Amino acid sequence: MLAVSVEKRLPGFTLDVSWAAGDAVVVLFGPSGAGKTLTLHCLAGLARPDRGRIVVNERVLFDSAAGVDLSPQARRLGYVFQGYALFPHLSVEANVAFGVRALARAARRRRVGEVLERLGLDGLRRRYPPELSGGQQQRVALGRALAPDPEVLLLDEPLSALDAPLRRQLREELARLIREWGKTAVLVTHDLGEAFQLGDRLVVYEAGRVVHTAPKAELLSRPASETVARLVGVRNIVRGTVVKTAPDRIEIAWRGQTVEAVNSLARPYAAAPGTPVAFFVRPEHVRLVRKDRPGPDPAHRMNLLSGMVVGELHQGTSWTLLFRVDGPGEPSQGAYDLEIEVPTLVYEMLDVARDRRWAVSMHRGALQVLPTA
Amino acid sequence: MRSAIRWAVVGLLIALAPGIARPAGPTLTVFAAADLAFAFDELVPRFERVAGAKVTLVLGSTGNLATQIEHGAPADVFFAADQAFVDRLIAQQVLIAGSRALYAQGRLALATAKRLGPKLTDLQALLDPRIRHVAIANPEHAPYGRRAEEALRAAGIWEMLESKLVYGENIRHTLQFVQSGAAEAGLVALAIANVPEVEWVLIDASLHSPLNQATAVVRWSPRPELGVRFIQFVNGPEGRAIMKRHGFLLPGEF
Amino acid sequence: MDFFPVWLSLRVASLATLVTLGLGVPFAWLLARTRFRGRELLEGLVVLPLVLPPTVLGYYLLVLIGHQGPVGRVLRAAGIELAFTWRAAVLAACVGSIALLVKTAQAGFESVDRRLEDAARTLGRSEWSIFWVVTLPLASRAILAGTVLAFCRALGDFGITLMVAGNIPGRTQTLPLAIYDRVQAFRMGEANVLAAIAVLVMLVLLVGVGRLARVRY
Repeated sequence: MLAVSVEKRLPGFTLDVSWAAGDAVVVLFGPSGAGKTLTLHCLAGLARPDRGRIVVNERVLFDSAAGVDLSPQARRLGYVFQGYALFPHLSVEANVAFGVRALARAARRRRVGEVLERLGLDGLRRRYPPELSGGQQQRVALGRALAPDPEVLLLDEPLSALDAPLRRQLREELARLIREWGKTAVLVTHDLGEAFQLGDRLVVYEAGRVVHTAPKAELLSRPASETVARLVGVRNIVRGTVVKTAPDRIEIAWRGQTVEAVNSLARPYAAAPGTPVAFFVRPEHVRLVRKDRPGPDPAHRMNLLSGMVVGELHQGTSWTLLFRVDGPGEPSQGAYDLEIEVPTLVYEMLDVARDRRWAVSMHRGALQVLPTA
Repeated sequence: MRSAIRWAVVGLLIALAPGIARPAGPTLTVFAAADLAFAFDELVPRFERVAGAKVTLVLGSTGNLATQIEHGAPADVFFAADQAFVDRLIAQQVLIAGSRALYAQGRLALATAKRLGPKLTDLQALLDPRIRHVAIANPEHAPYGRRAEEALRAAGIWEMLESKLVYGENIRHTLQFVQSGAAEAGLVALAIANVPEVEWVLIDASLHSPLNQATAVVRWSPRPELGVRFIQFVNGPEGRAIMKRHGFLLPGEF
Repeated sequence: MDFFPVWLSLRVASLATLVTLGLGVPFAWLLARTRFRGRELLEGLVVLPLVLPPTVLGYYLLVLIGHQGPVGRVLRAAGIELAFTWRAAVLAACVGSIALLVKTAQAGFESVDRRLEDAARTLGRSEWSIFWVVTLPLASRAILAGTVLAFCRALGDFGITLMVAGNIPGRTQTLPLAIYDRVQAFRMGEANVLAAIAVLVMLVLLVGVGRLARVRY
């Protein structure tokens, strides 16, 4: 259980964040320079906030009002630094044993041996960090941080030092290791894929503030605002005007048509007609209407639109089509209105390369309205 | 790294081993002006034999030596190249007034480096463009240097010569310039000018103020009697003979 | 030939280097890792001996530690003789060489990645332990280089030693002073022998240290 509330003013940047989490893995997510690493530093005691309070598992690590400021040595947090910060002049074994001073020599050796084995580093005991590969270094850094049995594990961009294919592979391994160890972890990353694969709860940072915090599923399906949606990589965020709102649906005027989005029962959206509104639909939920089959029943409120494919991007196993809706005015996203994702098989079957005119349907449940801001 | 530590320890033991300083005496420490180098080289062993004592001879520029004595240098007796320094120290009660004695008058000589041509016999010859460097002791603090400046000014050639002048820290240093040929000529102490590399000629003593050289015993010397004895030796028959041979005018002659 | 100046200089330089290490390394660490008031002033004082003419420096030191000087008086009252003894030669050598060690050691400390020290903190090590186990070993190469420089400079000090220790044969006449003395007296043969010894010592030192500096990382 973590509760973090810190304020820190630096020349040209102000950090003012407040969040709490009881999840196993909390991910601080956001673009570079948003203050995520600084928050981690404050957590670890390596930076002192101007004001605030940090509580970890009922231990108060920092409280400016009460004058509490535990030294980093006293906080019992494990920290995996960006770039790992392994001691180059010490062996792997010495690195891992570095923080395990509290035990007697025999117990210490046993513990270090355990950690090395669990991380598959046993054969590398006597090697030195500069001789190791990126993946090995990462494991040593983890081992070193976990050997003293800390309460919480802090990780700063643990995978950014690796190249892409390795990163994907190690992402899984890291997720497994963290879960196996059973510790609470706070992980900083700017990579969305990493954030979603490793984290349970995301705290979204932007320019020194927390924009939103939610479990990851909620973040994708119901982002709290347009900003959050953008930060979380949601695509097809477009703007229209409210026609009317009802408890079960929202009608929006967009590109010369009226589209329908479903309204949330828990938190219904209501606005006067004419209010500008932002909404999004995930690319994979925009479906090309097959020309060889009867079209969907208009009565089923399927948001039928016609238009043209004006561009496409090959993603390997799928294609991203750039679709322009027939209608007056400029397209919503530059040269196109919507991104549509189709599996390569479908793309080839429908011969999209040559046949560019299409009708698309979007189930009204797939349109998600975003509260402004 | 281990061996480094081992070596460091060895070095440490050597460094701290006792006996860095040579055990003293009875040793008489004589601070003497640089122009007395050759004369005292001969004189000191004679005194050591006669008096049955060891002498440590410390040579240097009169100015530096005087400053050091002023600040407590362990000298027993001070032989200055200019009595002014002795008198100043007496006034400061650093030297014992009662022990003050004149021991010589220094003479200035015009020295020419042998390998660079015929001997110069006149100060005016220094203006010759073939003479590119003329060495004198630093007039700021060396008595012979000040006299050299006086002589050159009296001869009316100081301004024209200034750009060619090279200053030596003390009179031995000055002689060295000429000995090595770095300077074609120089004004040096007669007392040290007798070296094979150099030819010299006396400069008219009326061109400069006299170089009366005085000595006195240091107030905190633990062996003032020995110091006085040394002064008496220098001014005695044996000492005077040696001094004269090295080109000094003796007390009574000036 | 009298080899006293050789032994004297070796001992003076060794002792001076030890003192320089003891004072210079902590000071270099302070300069590299902390900000304190009067920092620039102190830094300037350390580097000053590299800028001032040695005899001038020697003179001011003499004023300080001589009979009438503030430091000199206190020491004499305590029965310690400083000026015109081998101790003053050590002082002179220190003053002349400390800047070389401080500056190289400072660069060495600054080159140690601070994140390594931060990592050590999160792993529970005290600041003292961090200095000895992380910072110092990683800066040791630079410190070693600085020490060699300082030793050579200490061995070769002339002007400052001349003023505060004096050129007293058999007592404070160090190797450089002895060489100078011989050259002045045009006893070039002796001067050459002494100079050759000085060069030999430094060569041995440099080669020996070069071997030591073959460390893994």
